[in-house]
Amino acid sequence: MKTTFPRLRGGLIPAIVVIVVLALFPVMGIPRQWLLYLFLFFIYLAMSNMWNLLAGYSGLISLCPAAFIGLAGYTMTVMTWLGLPYYTGILPGAIVAALFAVLISIPVFRLKGIYFAIGTLVVPEILRYVFLLWRPVGDVIYGRGAGYTVKGVSAVTQAQLYWFAFAIGIASVLLMRYILRSKLGTGLAAIRDNDVTAASSGINVFNLKLGSFVISAFVTGLAGTIFYIYQGYIEPASAFSIRWLITIMLATVIGGEGTEEGPIVGTIIVVFLYFTLARYAEISLIIQGVILVGIMLLAPRGIIGTLRKTRPYRSLLKLATRR
Amino acid sequence: MGILLGGLYAVIALGLSLVFGVVKEINIAHGDLVILGSYFGYVAMSVIGIDPILSLVIGIPLMFGFGFVLQKYILNRAFKISMDATLIIAFGISIILQNVFQLIWSPMSRGLTTSYALSSVTAGPIRVPLAYLLDFIVAIVVMLFLREFMRRTYLGKAIRAAAQDRKTAHLMGINTDQVYAYTFGISMAFAAIAGIFLGLTFPFTPVSGMSFLIIALGVVVLGGMGSILGTFIGGIAFGLAQTLGGYFFGLAAQMLVAYTMVLVVLAVIPRGIFGR
Repeated sequence: MKTTFPRLRGGLIPAIVVIVVLALFPVMGIPRQWLLYLFLFFIYLAMSNMWNLLAGYSGLISLCPAAFIGLAGYTMTVMTWLGLPYYTGILPGAIVAALFAVLISIPVFRLKGIYFAIGTLVVPEILRYVFLLWRPVGDVIYGRGAGYTVKGVSAVTQAQLYWFAFAIGIASVLLMRYILRSKLGTGLAAIRDNDVTAASSGINVFNLKLGSFVISAFVTGLAGTIFYIYQGYIEPASAFSIRWLITIMLATVIGGEGTEEGPIVGTIIVVFLYFTLARYAEISLIIQGVILVGIMLLAPRGIIGTLRKTRPYRSLLKLATRR
Repeated sequence: MGILLGGLYAVIALGLSLVFGVVKEINIAHGDLVILGSYFGYVAMSVIGIDPILSLVIGIPLMFGFGFVLQKYILNRAFKISMDATLIIAFGISIILQNVFQLIWSPMSRGLTTSYALSSVTAGPIRVPLAYLLDFIVAIVVMLFLREFMRRTYLGKAIRAAAQDRKTAHLMGINTDQVYAYTFGISMAFAAIAGIFLGLTFPFTPVSGMSFLIIALGVVVLGGMGSILGTFIGGIAFGLAQTLGGYFFGLAAQMLVAYTMVLVVLAVIPRGIFGR
C-alpha cells in the first residue's frame, strides 16, 4: 500500500489554533460536564491511538491494554501509599507497564497472528487473579483483594486533570505522526505489506514489533495513571476488566483501523455513545457489540477508511492540500 | 479427579480445536457459546422440566443450526476481509452473548442441580463425584464419534481436505464455505454437549465463558491444533494442573495456576505436543 502524507494548506496554523483553544477550555468557563467528556476523550484517544499502532500498523491484535492500564494505575497508587505525591507516580507507572510489555513479549511473540492474540488475552486475567490474592501494601479498604484509594488526590482540580489528559491525548497524536514518518513506521508498513520481503531487505521484524509493543504499553500506561488519579480508587476487577479493550477496540474500529485520523473520529463517537447509553446500562454493551460486528462486516476500514474511497473526500483533500 | 475433570476441558476445547484446525480462525466467542449451552440446559430443566442431558436431543440440533448460520452469514464474510476481522467479530459476538445472558438470566450464579449431579460413586478407596465421571465418559464418546465421523463420512473427508488446503479442496469441487459452515455447526453441537456437562460440574455465571475459553485455548495449544488425541491429553493436563494447583496453593489460586500454564505452554512449546 502506498502511503502519502498530504500537508495541509496554511501549514501548522490551523492545528495550533485548535490545540490552543482546547488547552484554554478550563479557564474559559466551560461547563464541568463538558470538561469531563473531553477528559475521557483524551484518555481514550491516547489508548486507541496506541491500539491502532499495534492493530493497524504492526499487525498485532493486542487483547491486553487492560494489563498496562491496571499495572500503571497500581504502580501509581502504591507509590501514593508509600507517602509520595501522586504526580511522581505517573512516569514510573508507565515505565512499569513498558517493562511488563518486554517481559510478556517472551511468551506472546513466539509465534505470530493467532498466538499473539491468545497470549495477550490471558495476561489481564492472570493479573486480575494476582491482584485479587496479593496486596502490595496496607490493609483491606473495600472489595476483595487489592482495592485501594489513591492518596493525596483530593486537592487535584478538574482543570489540572483536564490538562494532564489533554497533554497525553495530543502527545499521542503527535507521537503517531512522528512514528509513522520515522524508520520505525516505514519498517512497520513494510512488514505489514509483506513480512518476508521486509525481513530479507534487512528489517529486523522482531525488534520493530517489540518496539511498537513497548511504546504502546508505555503510553497506554501513562493514560491509565491519569485515569486513576481522576477515579480516585483502584480495584482489580475493573482495573483488568475486558471493558477497557471493548472501548479501545470500538473507538479504533469505528474510526478506521490503520488510519491516522481514525482513532480521533472513533473516540468522539465512543465517548458520545458512552454518555448517551449510560441511561440504558443493561443493553449498552449489547449495542456496542452489535456496532463492533456491524462496522467490521460492512465497513472494515471504519469511517475514515470508507470516506477515503469516496469522491467528495478526495476533492476535499485536493482542495485542502497543496498538491 | 483432575484427570476426570480433564474430560470436561477436552470436550470444551474440542469444538474450538475443530474450528481452529479447519477454518483457521480462533473463535473467541467459544467459551460464551458453551455457556449458551449451559443456559439452554438450565431453561430446559427449570421451565420445561426435562433432564438436562435429555434436553440435548433438542439442544444439539438447535446449536448446530445456530453455528451453521453464524459461520455462513457472518464469519465466512469476515474471513474474506481479513484474519483480524474474524477475531474482532468473534470478540463482538462474545460481548453480545455475555450481556444478553446477563439481561435474561441476571448475573447470578446458576447450576444444573439434578439429583445425580450431586451424588458420587465409590470405587474402592476413592470417592468420585458422578458429574466428573460423566464428564470423562462423555469426552471419550464424543472423541471416538468425531474420529469415526472424520474418517468414514463424505463430509468428514471434505472437512479434512478443506483443512489441509483450502484452495485445492475448492478446485476439487468442495464448497469450502459450506464445509466451514458445517464445521462450525459441529463445533457448536459439541459446545451444546460441553455446556450441559459444564453446568452439571460447576456453577456458571454470564461471564464464566471467558475463563473456560482461556483454559480451552491452553488445551488446544498444548495438544497441538487440530489433533483429537492431543486435545484429550491437553485437557487432562489442564484438569490435573488445576486440581493440583488448588490442592497445593488453595482454591483461590487454582485458576491462576491454569492460566499461568497457558502462558508457559505458549512460551515453551507453542506448537504443542502433537502439533505439525
